[in-house]
Amino acid sequence: MRPENYQAINHPPSHEYELNFGPNHPGIEGNYALKVKLQGDQVVEAHADGGYLHRGFEKLMEGRLWIQNIALVPRICVPDPVPMEMAYSLAVEELGGLEVPIRAQWIRVMQLELSRIAAHLFTFGGHAATTGMYTTMYWGVADRDLFLDLFEELTGGRVYHIYNIPGGVRRDIPDGYLDRVTSTLDYLESRLPDYDNLFFTNQVFVKRATGTGTMTQQQALEWGVTGPNLRATGLKLDVRRDDPYLVYDEIDFDIATEEAGDAWARTLVRRKELQQSIRIVRQVIERLPSIGGPIRCPIPNPLAWNVPAGEAYARIDSSKGEVAYYVVSTGGDKPYRVHVRGPSSMHAVQVLENLVTGGRLEDVAQIMFSLDACPPEVDR
Amino acid sequence: MSQELTRMLDTLTKDIAGAKVTLKRARRMRIDVDADALPALLELLQGRGSYVHLSAISCVDWIDDNQFELVYHVWSYESNSLVSAHTRIPRDPGVYLSIYDLYKPAAFFERDIHEMFGLYFEGSPSMEKFILTEWEGPPPMRKDFDAEAWVRDTFTERDYNPEWLKELTDAGGGIAIRPQDIRK
Amino acid sequence: MTDIDYKAKGSILNPLKNLQFLGRRPVTQPLEPRPASANYRGFHLNDWEKCIGCSTCQKVCDNAAITMVRIPDIKEDPVNGIRNLRPAIDYGRCCWCGLCVDICPTGSLSLSREYVHTCTQDEIDSYFVLPDSSGMHGTYGHGWRKTADADLVDLSRHPMAHLEPPQRSDNFDEIMLGFTRQEAILEASRCVQCGMCHDACPTHMDAPEYIRAIWQDDPEEAVRQIYRTNPFPEVCGRVCTHRCETACSIGRRGEPVAIRWLKRYAMDAVAPERVKEIAAESKSDYMTGKRIAIIGAGPAGLTAAFDLIKQGHQVDVYEGLSEAGGMTRWGIPEYRLPAAALARDVDVITSLGVRIHYNRWIGRDIDMATLQLEYDAVLLAIGLGLGRSTRIPGSDHPQVRKAVELLREISQGSVFAVPRSAVVIGGGNVAMDIARSLARLQKREYGTVRITACALEDRAHFLADEIEIIEAIEEGIEVLDARGPQRCEQHADGRLLGLKTWKVDSIFDEQQRFAPRYDNSDERFHEGEMIIEAIGQMSDVSVLGPELTELLEWNRGRLKVDAAGRTNLPWLWAAGDCVNGPDVVHAVADGHRVAASIDAYLNIREDVA
Repeated sequence: MRPENYQAINHPPSHEYELNFGPNHPGIEGNYALKVKLQGDQVVEAHADGGYLHRGFEKLMEGRLWIQNIALVPRICVPDPVPMEMAYSLAVEELGGLEVPIRAQWIRVMQLELSRIAAHLFTFGGHAATTGMYTTMYWGVADRDLFLDLFEELTGGRVYHIYNIPGGVRRDIPDGYLDRVTSTLDYLESRLPDYDNLFFTNQVFVKRATGTGTMTQQQALEWGVTGPNLRATGLKLDVRRDDPYLVYDEIDFDIATEEAGDAWARTLVRRKELQQSIRIVRQVIERLPSIGGPIRCPIPNPLAWNVPAGEAYARIDSSKGEVAYYVVSTGGDKPYRVHVRGPSSMHAVQVLENLVTGGRLEDVAQIMFSLDACPPEVDR
Repeated sequence: MSQELTRMLDTLTKDIAGAKVTLKRARRMRIDVDADALPALLELLQGRGSYVHLSAISCVDWIDDNQFELVYHVWSYESNSLVSAHTRIPRDPGVYLSIYDLYKPAAFFERDIHEMFGLYFEGSPSMEKFILTEWEGPPPMRKDFDAEAWVRDTFTERDYNPEWLKELTDAGGGIAIRPQDIRK
Repeated sequence: MTDIDYKAKGSILNPLKNLQFLGRRPVTQPLEPRPASANYRGFHLNDWEKCIGCSTCQKVCDNAAITMVRIPDIKEDPVNGIRNLRPAIDYGRCCWCGLCVDICPTGSLSLSREYVHTCTQDEIDSYFVLPDSSGMHGTYGHGWRKTADADLVDLSRHPMAHLEPPQRSDNFDEIMLGFTRQEAILEASRCVQCGMCHDACPTHMDAPEYIRAIWQDDPEEAVRQIYRTNPFPEVCGRVCTHRCETACSIGRRGEPVAIRWLKRYAMDAVAPERVKEIAAESKSDYMTGKRIAIIGAGPAGLTAAFDLIKQGHQVDVYEGLSEAGGMTRWGIPEYRLPAAALARDVDVITSLGVRIHYNRWIGRDIDMATLQLEYDAVLLAIGLGLGRSTRIPGSDHPQVRKAVELLREISQGSVFAVPRSAVVIGGGNVAMDIARSLARLQKREYGTVRITACALEDRAHFLADEIEIIEAIEEGIEVLDARGPQRCEQHADGRLLGLKTWKVDSIFDEQQRFAPRYDNSDERFHEGEMIIEAIGQMSDVSVLGPELTELLEWNRGRLKVDAAGRTNLPWLWAAGDCVNGPDVVHAVADGHRVAASIDAYLNIREDVA
């Protein structure tokens, strides 16, 4: 709500008070508000309030050519943009019957996992900050930057990569690129013990996060939780394994899980996923040099590209959970409808409201961050 | 595997009037169903078919047919497959039933569709505004809302006038084709 | 990977281990700006030498950030597809996606390796930039640029099915077989709608519009767009000189869009009866009562007739020969333009009410004075029916023929003795036409081809279309470059033996005047029972009669006309090849021009009356 629209209301005397978390709050990546009603420091009610980052992407996409939308989609989730590009591309490829060359598929897997690493590093930093540990945040953001360097070199952009295009990717990997990826991964691996010492095994964190914002498997499934948040309740469920896309069915990786279902478990799952992502990228580095061929299948002139009529639902496991794009074409040069299903539209609204309610004020920020919600995904 | 799934779904939906099952590709099924049979279909899918995860509800405005299409994407963690249940309802009055009692995530999607398309879901926990809190206009995702026209009517554009442009204009050149001239 | 038991290992003291970082050297980044990675998508660079102002970048820009700006210092060159427009970028809108670079037909655009541009609110105009090859700040060089594997422009043309040499070398069947629907849609989809073709076309055909209609699988709309500017689409869809394709921006780096073939596809795809309906759509529903006589039923004359009849005038066309089409009927061999295709075009025109009177020679069957009396206006569109002679010694031998006349005989089906060997003088399309026609007759009659074509020009400057030369060679014709004809040799008994040529050193003098210089040490003899001169054509102006010829103004043997095609006599116009030289589409353009002029003149007369 804009300040000028705020009206003071005289409430009857009460022990309850309302507090606005956000829309500018370090507890979440981006602008988002959570209104909590409190008795003492006990949260009795919570209402999520979105819309601060609404840019109307779904509407905009209906007015743009198929190819122009590739510049819009990464903006739907700033910290983890690659799954957005990918899901859109996969859906259009399904509609258009485009066969993505194998080389491009491996490059895409590498990107997805590098993006996951970058997003997780960002989240750890933020999460640690909610428990007062700012060094982790500085480290996390600084180390994420090394991955942004890799993206800059590969895709030409640090944050908005705009690198995937229906049919493949836009550029081949530069000379010596894989070596630099390897050395960055080596560096990150060498850093993990430091992170463990500073954050993951830090009793301040362990004690604060254990039992905070706990959900059971049953609840998680009911509320439509996906991704690391779901896996933190002990369920080995992952779109990459269950509904494999690209070449994930040829890749060897473990699905990281934890049993507790609390803030600590959710963070630990992400910590373990870092290692799994490193493992996946190393497999790509090993395989990619032996896979020749083009990086993109032939696509029509983008200015005269009619995608055959139909509808496709493409799902991706992003660092936050299940990203899905429902794309409808009526055979025209623009999409008739694109519906973006971001995992945060579950995590940041219903799940957050439920987890926060009954908890304590000081845990609200931590719960918000432990869900790793991304407001731009909710608002679109 | 997929064939078995379709057979299973065929048996499952045989009591649902008019349900048509199509296998789109591996792990993707489409079921077309009448609006009044959809809740029953979803109940069957969830209860006997293990489709417990509501991935999304998508709404498509088929303005030429004067209809909204609702697509319920449900995922089964057991058979690892997605069923998209399609149904169409009249655009006017645009009222439908909530499936919140079956799928909790429906609350968000129904609220979102209400906000963006103006379609009301009876029985949904909250039909209040969420994203467009201060928006007074028509539901913007409807095809008859022209966002670009709204922007043109609401905001004024300011032109740049750098030195180089003044020089070119004086020399008889200058701006020839503005981006808005080629927008269709 | 070993899993850490995080809870068990956890200790309140763990973070203290990181005190070791106090002893490490801090990471320091210098504050100087650094260039971004070699692939970075920074600010735009535009090589103005390469840029043609096609504005494709503007069309692909998803944020409407590109404005096309006219630069008066750059010379417009529609024939070669160059406009004096250059893109200016609004960095308040640009999102640095780089699609403009990937789609740029010329490859002139790229992005720089710089990260930052910033300014105060007062300097906000600095966000609007007209980039040249040094870019915004002029220092960082290329980052993101076009690569071959990521080009968004489809550089290769979709091939059209055609007859191979063995299938075609002994007959006059049409070589090009036309696009299928799918092929046409694919080929049409290559177009970036820049409109260079429209600007370059003499009659300014709405090529972007009809190509788009074909892409949208709406050939009727394509025919409608075509008929707005050209009533000879069957002809132009086959034998047009396609300046559109020369100017096509896709042709900068690849093969231009097959605009000519697409036009033909539209005509192939729509039934002739429907074409007539479409062509008649804009016909005036009343008659003005004015009468116009047109002499010559070639493209220029009939185009004018088409326009004038649509404007409600009555049109009579007088044609000296037995069929309409002029040079397109008699001068172009059937394997390039079947008579049936031409007849379809003529049919559409006559279906609108144009009357063509065949076998009526002006000066023999009807005279100009009568026409002047009976009609409100007269148009001369008599074409170039006579061949020019080289006038080299021996060229008056009866077996030394002129290409246009021989082609006409072949088209008319006249019987003549096919020479066993022949030499063609000339390197233009007419030379190839006659060489290839004779080759077919030789193949049919004798089973072998013995024809030599001698062009003045060297191979790089041949006047004929490249494809004509390639196909001629495929059909067994010997094509020689830089050979200057010197003498037609004959035997003592009067038989023609062949042609003697010298090597050409240069064709033009310093003032670009025609003055060939030869190297007489390189002399060759080409055997031929017949020699055909294909070095140019001229009009048969004898039809005008001495009186009129005297009254008219002339310009170096050609009728002098004003910009609208009018002669110095108020009732007489002239159009087509007889004014402009040979070119079908030029003749069509001319037909439109004079029709507009005649219409305006008749309307004025009406006002006065």
